[in-house]
Amino acid sequence: MLNVTRAAAAALLAFIVANGAAMAEPTKPECLAGAKPGGGFDLTCRLAANSLLASKIIGTPMQVTYMEGGVGAVAYNHVIGKRGTDGNLITAASSGSALLIAQGKFGQYDESAVKWLGALGADYGVLVVAAESPYKTLGELVAAYKATPADFAIGGGGAVGSQDWMKASLLAKAAEQDPKAMRYVALEGGGAVLTALEGGHIKVGSGDAAEMGQHHKAGKVRILAVMAPERLPGDLAQIPTAREQGIDIDWIVWRGYYMGKDVTAADYDWWVEGFKKLSATPEFLAERQARGLFEFNMFGQDFDAKVKADVARFKVLAKEAGL
Amino acid sequence: MNLDYLWGGFAIALTWQNLLIGLIGCFLGTLIGALPAIGPINGIALLLPIAYTMGLPPESTMILLAAVYCGAEYGGRISSILLNVPGDAGAVMTALDGYPLAKQGRAGEALAISGISSFVGGVIGAIGLALFAPILSSLAIGFGPAEYFVLMIFALATLGAMVGSQPVKTLIGCVLGLMLATVGLDATSGAYRFSFNEPELGDGIEFVVLVIGLFSISEALIILENQSAGVTMIRKLGRMMARLDDLRKCVVPTLRGSAIGFVIGVLPGTGASVASAISYTTEKRISDRDGTFGKGDVRGLAAPEAANNATACGAFVPMLTLGVPGSGTTAVMLGALMLYNIQPGPLLMSQHPEMVGGLVASLFIGNFFLLALNLPLVNLFARVLTIPNWLLVPGILVLSIVGVYSTNASTLSLYLMLAIGLMGWLLRKLGFDMAPIILGFVLGDVMEINMRNALAISGGDISIFFKSWISLVLWGLAIAVAVLPFLLGRRANRRKARLTLDAEAQP
Amino acid sequence: MTTPATKDGVAGRIGAAALLILALAFGLGGATIHYAFASDPLGPRVFPVALAGALALLALLYWRRPGGAEEFPHGVLLLRILAVPGLVLLSVLLLEPAGFVVSIFVLTAGVAWIFGASVRASLIGGIGHALLWWIVFVKLLAVYLPPGWLFA
Repeated sequence: MLNVTRAAAAALLAFIVANGAAMAEPTKPECLAGAKPGGGFDLTCRLAANSLLASKIIGTPMQVTYMEGGVGAVAYNHVIGKRGTDGNLITAASSGSALLIAQGKFGQYDESAVKWLGALGADYGVLVVAAESPYKTLGELVAAYKATPADFAIGGGGAVGSQDWMKASLLAKAAEQDPKAMRYVALEGGGAVLTALEGGHIKVGSGDAAEMGQHHKAGKVRILAVMAPERLPGDLAQIPTAREQGIDIDWIVWRGYYMGKDVTAADYDWWVEGFKKLSATPEFLAERQARGLFEFNMFGQDFDAKVKADVARFKVLAKEAGL
Repeated sequence: MNLDYLWGGFAIALTWQNLLIGLIGCFLGTLIGALPAIGPINGIALLLPIAYTMGLPPESTMILLAAVYCGAEYGGRISSILLNVPGDAGAVMTALDGYPLAKQGRAGEALAISGISSFVGGVIGAIGLALFAPILSSLAIGFGPAEYFVLMIFALATLGAMVGSQPVKTLIGCVLGLMLATVGLDATSGAYRFSFNEPELGDGIEFVVLVIGLFSISEALIILENQSAGVTMIRKLGRMMARLDDLRKCVVPTLRGSAIGFVIGVLPGTGASVASAISYTTEKRISDRDGTFGKGDVRGLAAPEAANNATACGAFVPMLTLGVPGSGTTAVMLGALMLYNIQPGPLLMSQHPEMVGGLVASLFIGNFFLLALNLPLVNLFARVLTIPNWLLVPGILVLSIVGVYSTNASTLSLYLMLAIGLMGWLLRKLGFDMAPIILGFVLGDVMEINMRNALAISGGDISIFFKSWISLVLWGLAIAVAVLPFLLGRRANRRKARLTLDAEAQP
Repeated sequence: MTTPATKDGVAGRIGAAALLILALAFGLGGATIHYAFASDPLGPRVFPVALAGALALLALLYWRRPGGAEEFPHGVLLLRILAVPGLVLLSVLLLEPAGFVVSIFVLTAGVAWIFGASVRASLIGGIGHALLWWIVFVKLLAVYLPPGWLFA
């Protein structure tokens, strides 16, 4: 009973808030995370759900639902097949999704089978070594790797073809080595990369700035380079980018959303405008900070173009790597 | 020794939510144990998905499951004593002296004595776990991929003791489990294996689907087949208090049973049935001077009951410190951790002290709950035994369907559960045990990934598996453990055979 | 008197043969797993193929000593046993279109009848189960279960 009254009140509130806008506010906003609770897609959904409600852009709480399978592939096929017209639903995605699409691992559909909505944040790739490692700069590491490639076991939190593997393969290519011959150790997430570095089982780790930054700050590992176009803010400001060190390797891990291909233009525009508005609110900035993400705002057509460019770039990279 | 994790654990276990969860678990566990149809594994298999879907945090889920596990070891004695049908595998020996006592009109006394010895066994087991776990886990810090792989070899080597008499079937079960674990995305190369282009199989077979299929669906069929066998329930309980004289007689057997049970529990792969058999036969050899064992001797009741409860706690030692299950039930609990994305293994205690501590502390608290539930309220549980199968089994099936459906809302999982259940039934009819399949499934991924990572690090040089002293010790233990349980099991079988001969010889 | 030893043997032999076939199929499937390349020396094929080999070996050992099976049910009992998974299948088919309550009623009433309850008791039991579990899961625990046409 209580729930019904509360829902009615929320709906009323939503009506009042949305009254000015001509576009249709979703009545039952929902964010689909293509994994178990607690992973990256969950984080992406929560970022939108919490800040949209806190900044009163939506009146009804956004429900986060989970559909595990194939690192987002099941959710992707579900949206295309069954929710193509649902204007209430946004689905979490990341640059990892684009990478999988590029490798044909999302089934028969390509990147144009959905409408790309926007990205609200990003993380960046980093290359790390153990705190007591002799290598202080990326240049030293690349030179040493070039000299004795067989001595370098590189660990990352994903399988061959994953983002961590791709970052490692960029390092191998910078050292003029064949990524296929790389001694890559697929570990279970960033925590395992840290343990393997500390235990001396691997010499180089590939990971993300937010997570490794904490270990760097605690003195457990040393980040040699961030794979970003510019230096990152905050604790990581002293760490040079790979570009600064003369090695042109970027890896941006954006976190964004897509919708079904056949949602109405009004619905799609409502979400794009909503996200644009959201990205300037203090509630959103606090939420993004709390989730350990860096600024990365890109919406509507810009984002659509970005995803398509990413997929094209990843296709080239994957082909070069022999995937 | 650093016991901080335990004090922190008490702080977690004593919150009112976790106390309530523990109490519910103890109640359900006793119920599950008392019902001959279902044992601790089935109970945990049915409760796990529900706890997960309800969004319980991992430590609360583990507290719930541990309470059910321990409760089932208490509850198993009730049907052993009143029906002469063991409520679960650990209570087989309890019937030997418990049922004769009940026939003499002393059922209430038998329930009281066995309840108290269960309590003592449980508490001693929990103390052993609390002291032993940090020692073992501090040894386990230096583990790399190579050491993990050898550890898995050690774990699989212990399998021989799990069923004992038929090692080939045990090993087949284990290999089947390892094979099931290969389905889905290969974590190293990113290739899909045996997923038949079905995205839902891309992440592998859901643990819950496998466990419920193997343990609940096949169990329902087994119950149907066995239900024609008639049993007589003893309804006259007599006085519900234990005699002081009897209790005094039971002190030493109970302590001995607890010690035996704990040690056997720590040995990976050996469960409560082996522990209670060894403790009963040991007690008989030491104490049975007048030939009263098997005719209603309280000591023959106290020893195996203390042992099976201590075993339950002992089985947590390898599970929490090494990520190697100490029994079939702890194998399911390891799977529960993986459902929460918690990687079991030597780092569990340092990475999740709140969970390990909460679990250990809840065992202490749980035993007090169980004592309270099992002495004054034993009547209530005894009445549960009168629930007819035609009401009970449909309930099990409903819980199975809801459990599988609620974790991922997919009917494909339900078909898979049904197919696995039928396979499980066929295998059980052929004399296979289900526990090795679960063990293989739980250990499979860890084993393969670590083997391949170790070789990736060494560049294909297999000497990496023999480099550290940890690996060498584990190889030695693996060889020892592969041989030892065969000897123990053969001895226990010989004794069991002798016991049945004795029993048949007596009118 | 039957001769359980021989019957045992036959069932065990069939089981061993089935396991051997499974081993061959699994080994074949394992050897043809598609992958671009592996970063480790073994790759994704070696472990499954090795397991298939182990299973084949164990199946042969089992073939040599096929004992230890229980007697398989036959006749009416077998039909009753097979009816249980049949009912589970039916209720899974009904689950999404007809909803949880209907599907559970069919399952529980049917299984109760197979377990020897009278028709009346089965129907009452089925209604009781459907109500009980609906209250427990949908109302108390808020687990999502398909409502179906009855409650949609």
